[in-house]
Amino acid sequence: MSAVSTASAVAKGSAAAPRVPAGKRPVGKRAKVVGKAGKNVLALLVAAVFVFPVYWMFSSSLKPKAEILTKDPVFVFSPTTENYVKASGVDMFWTYVQNSFMVTVGAVLLALIVALAASFAIARMRFRGRKGLVLGVMMAQMAPWEVMVIVMYMIARDSDMLNSIATLTLVYFVMVLPFTIWTLRGFIAAVPVELEEAAMIDGCSRTQAFFKVIFPLLAPGLMSTSLFGFITAWNEFAMVLILNKEDYAQTLPLWLTQFNTAFGNDWGATMAAASMFTVPVLIVFLFLQRKAVGGMTAGAVKG
Amino acid sequence: MTVHSQGVVTSVPEDAPRKSAGESQTPPPSGSKEVLQRPRGRRGLPTGLLPYLLVAPAVISLVVLLGYPLIRNVILSFQQVNKRELITRKPEWIGVDNYKELLGSSDFWTVVVRSFVFTAVNVLVIMLIGTLIGILLNNLGKKMRLVLSLALVMAWAMPIVASVTVFKWLFDEQFGVANWVMRSLGFAGYEQHNWFETGTSTLVIITVLIAWGSIPFVALNMYAGLTTVGTELYEAARMDGASGWRIFWAVVFPIMKPFFLVTTFLEVIWVFKAFAQVYAMNAGGPDRGSETLPVFAFVEGSGQQHYGMAAAISVLTIVMLIAVMSFYFRLILKQEEEQ
Amino acid sequence: MKRKLIAAIGVAGMMVSVAACGSDSKSGGDTKTDGPKTVTVWVMDGSAPEPWIQAVNKEFEAKHKDVKVDVKIQKWDGIQEKVTTALSEDTPPDVIELGNTQTAGYAATGGLAELTEDKAKLGADGWNKGMLPSAELDGKLYAAPWWAANRVVVYDKKAFKDAGVTPPKTRDEWIAGLEKIKSTSKGKTQPLYLPGQSWYVLAGFIWDEGGDLAVKDGDNWKGTLADPKSIEGMNFYKKLQSYSTAPKDKDEATPQQSTDVVPKGGIASWIGLGWEAGGAIKAIEDAKGKADFGYFPIPGKTADKPGSVFFGGSNLAIAERSKNKDLAKEWLALAAGKDQMAKYAQATEGAALPNHDSAAFKAPAGTFAEAMGQAASVGKLTPITEGWANVETNPNPIKEYMTKVLKGQDPKAAAEAADKEITERINKK
Repeated sequence: MSAVSTASAVAKGSAAAPRVPAGKRPVGKRAKVVGKAGKNVLALLVAAVFVFPVYWMFSSSLKPKAEILTKDPVFVFSPTTENYVKASGVDMFWTYVQNSFMVTVGAVLLALIVALAASFAIARMRFRGRKGLVLGVMMAQMAPWEVMVIVMYMIARDSDMLNSIATLTLVYFVMVLPFTIWTLRGFIAAVPVELEEAAMIDGCSRTQAFFKVIFPLLAPGLMSTSLFGFITAWNEFAMVLILNKEDYAQTLPLWLTQFNTAFGNDWGATMAAASMFTVPVLIVFLFLQRKAVGGMTAGAVKG
Repeated sequence: MTVHSQGVVTSVPEDAPRKSAGESQTPPPSGSKEVLQRPRGRRGLPTGLLPYLLVAPAVISLVVLLGYPLIRNVILSFQQVNKRELITRKPEWIGVDNYKELLGSSDFWTVVVRSFVFTAVNVLVIMLIGTLIGILLNNLGKKMRLVLSLALVMAWAMPIVASVTVFKWLFDEQFGVANWVMRSLGFAGYEQHNWFETGTSTLVIITVLIAWGSIPFVALNMYAGLTTVGTELYEAARMDGASGWRIFWAVVFPIMKPFFLVTTFLEVIWVFKAFAQVYAMNAGGPDRGSETLPVFAFVEGSGQQHYGMAAAISVLTIVMLIAVMSFYFRLILKQEEEQ
Repeated sequence: MKRKLIAAIGVAGMMVSVAACGSDSKSGGDTKTDGPKTVTVWVMDGSAPEPWIQAVNKEFEAKHKDVKVDVKIQKWDGIQEKVTTALSEDTPPDVIELGNTQTAGYAATGGLAELTEDKAKLGADGWNKGMLPSAELDGKLYAAPWWAANRVVVYDKKAFKDAGVTPPKTRDEWIAGLEKIKSTSKGKTQPLYLPGQSWYVLAGFIWDEGGDLAVKDGDNWKGTLADPKSIEGMNFYKKLQSYSTAPKDKDEATPQQSTDVVPKGGIASWIGLGWEAGGAIKAIEDAKGKADFGYFPIPGKTADKPGSVFFGGSNLAIAERSKNKDLAKEWLALAAGKDQMAKYAQATEGAALPNHDSAAFKAPAGTFAEAMGQAASVGKLTPITEGWANVETNPNPIKEYMTKVLKGQDPKAAAEAADKEITERINKK
């Protein structure tokens, strides 16, 4: 996500690095084969370590009850959907789904719009207070939201804004805003000014130049910032727990925790819930990543 | 493939004319690139009211939705607000009592030291392994790279709430896979090994969880950055007989320095603030042995319902974090000026 | 490019509609006060059997046309803060179930409506005298006692028979029996499943020795775990726990002993509540097994008296800020009244003791309820003071103390550390 802001810096660094002419590979062929096999084995091992928890979640969610809590893990089983039926059969399940999507998408889009304007100004214009703003945005990323829940609660309570999807959207929006500004700023700074100027010479207005030249080039930036925003808002738990007591205004993370109750931990249902909770994020990840690539190449070619 | 977007993202300036991307906005420091200097630069862009209009929504949002709560939080830290005061809505002004109590308590300082050590260890582990995996990615064939990147993206995409639940279970004393793995590998004493025996062992497991969730970010970005380095540089260095270690420090590291700077900055903030992972794993236990500052504040606030005290903890946390990060701010601001 | 502009406009439009959603739902809430009234009731997960509470609401709604009762089941996790914040709001739930160790703490905040004047209406005369103190503070009534329950030993009849052990009457017999199960089963069966942090069980042992968790000391309270009598109680707990391989740093709910541990088999006995026994039986039957449980009260030091037990339970209180106090009182009088409580006792099959002695369920021999009834006479409560609720919140110093002792630390030193924390918390207003 943040690579973005380092982008231009990295390039600059490489430009400044000493240039040495390319040469021939000195490594022997056999050593290379062995090294390659070793590397592949290592890569497989690392991949297995990273995938295992994800695999374990999905596979447990498909296990029959008796095979979930066992001393020795069960790897072969006949899959069942009972856990999914149970997890999604909770009262108000679809309300939670709807709420989660509304607050997440709302917060991310709002943040993108507001951040786009601000980061354009920061990256492209000189104005008094610019440095202060950059510093403020950087510091805002340190906001300790988890321990500010009670203050947020008191403010919302006293202004009669509890149990509201709009309040939650606004809170999530400001949670992701600093990072979004910071990241987009990096992206905009990386777009050569010449492109914009060329467009303006061709008769575009500044606004037109922005939308015709910069905006298309920003696609990857928009994608990766929305990815970050999506994860943050989608995951948020502490705030919604205290702000929205009424189930009509609650979201999926709360639902996810409710299978651990006084009557026993239903691990199967918990894992099914966790899987369902993860799938949208995975989809967004894969989808946005691909789009980011496509948008970039198109922009670069045209540019 | 899809998973490489980070690479693309980072390589933006490479696709665009490299030098102009980084340096066209300000006059370059050395004369060698003078040809590329744009006399118009930023001065050609309008100043006046426009920038203020553009930043206004962001500034207003931040001030109203973050600044105001932060101020309220500071006010709260000078008040006694427990269960009773929260219900009656009549906070009692007690001045610096909360701060006095905190700063004079050895528990608080234990938590402070623990938080910093915990953050340092985590960031170190994340950066080190992340960098190594990034380098590994860069050295793999296309297929293996895809496999590994996919694995990393999966771990990265897993929501924290879900991953904490899974990890808790993997390390369960009675039904955990971790104990089974140790038994299967032939280690004795893992019949019912308690991974959360002490505060330190709990923090180790939490470190595993946080590292697992954060390494993909560093690794993929590292790899993305490496793709911009260009192979000819390594080849050349290798020709000169440099070892892998030397190549890294002499060639890769200087180029990637900004990347390390920003990523470390983010990881420090993220790890220091990590709450869900630490709290959900063992609720700060055993015997409060795995409490970091955010968990300490949460236990004091939401748990014990001493909200004023919790606010004081959070204020001190922010102050310390800013103090520690101030040199980072300076570095990044400097970088800002150079752009 | 146009597409993106449109997208941006669409975004803005969406925000408006999202905002509209928020205000919609709020105004929906407001209109409620004009139209039919709603009495909101918060009960804890597992407290109220579904058919029973529906019957209560039906009777109530028949009496009060235009009034609806909205029952909301609450999770135990994080309930304290949820109740606190709810009591601070303008439209709190009208009736709230509170744990009997928590009620005094909330009464002291002013968040609960005083019910002293409504005693007659609520039928206070018939209330169980052991349950009443937890609903009072400084002689004033702040809640109606609802139900109480205590723990008994649940045992696997077959495991006991195989080892030739019969239900014990004294601690010595109990230990001897566990020893016998241990030796005859050769480590295959756990004689007793007892996690390290079952502090309610420990409280009983401490009371048996004549000690207590905390006592009043002048105007203040102080923790008394380091009292030699209390340490005796802990020593016995440690002895008992040595027959268990349960985790020393967990309580009975992690993992849930009734549904996650006992049904796996290999456990000869465990200490639990009525709903836990029911949950275990159901889990075993769900897995196509057969549960054959017997029950006996926790043995005392001598045969003439069973061991002391913690009298856990709940009260029903009314929020001070409730907009429907009178209706809430009526609902309370109905639900916690003698008739409905008799049905309640029936519905829970005696797993919960009702607030009226005369409403008690006549427990058949050999049931959980029978064993529980035998021990009810020696049921005790945690110190009744508003500060006690602070002691119970996590991280609970009593639990930490237990784990330390079980792991071999010096009981006296560990108890003194815990006492310090208890004393500090219990005196916090």
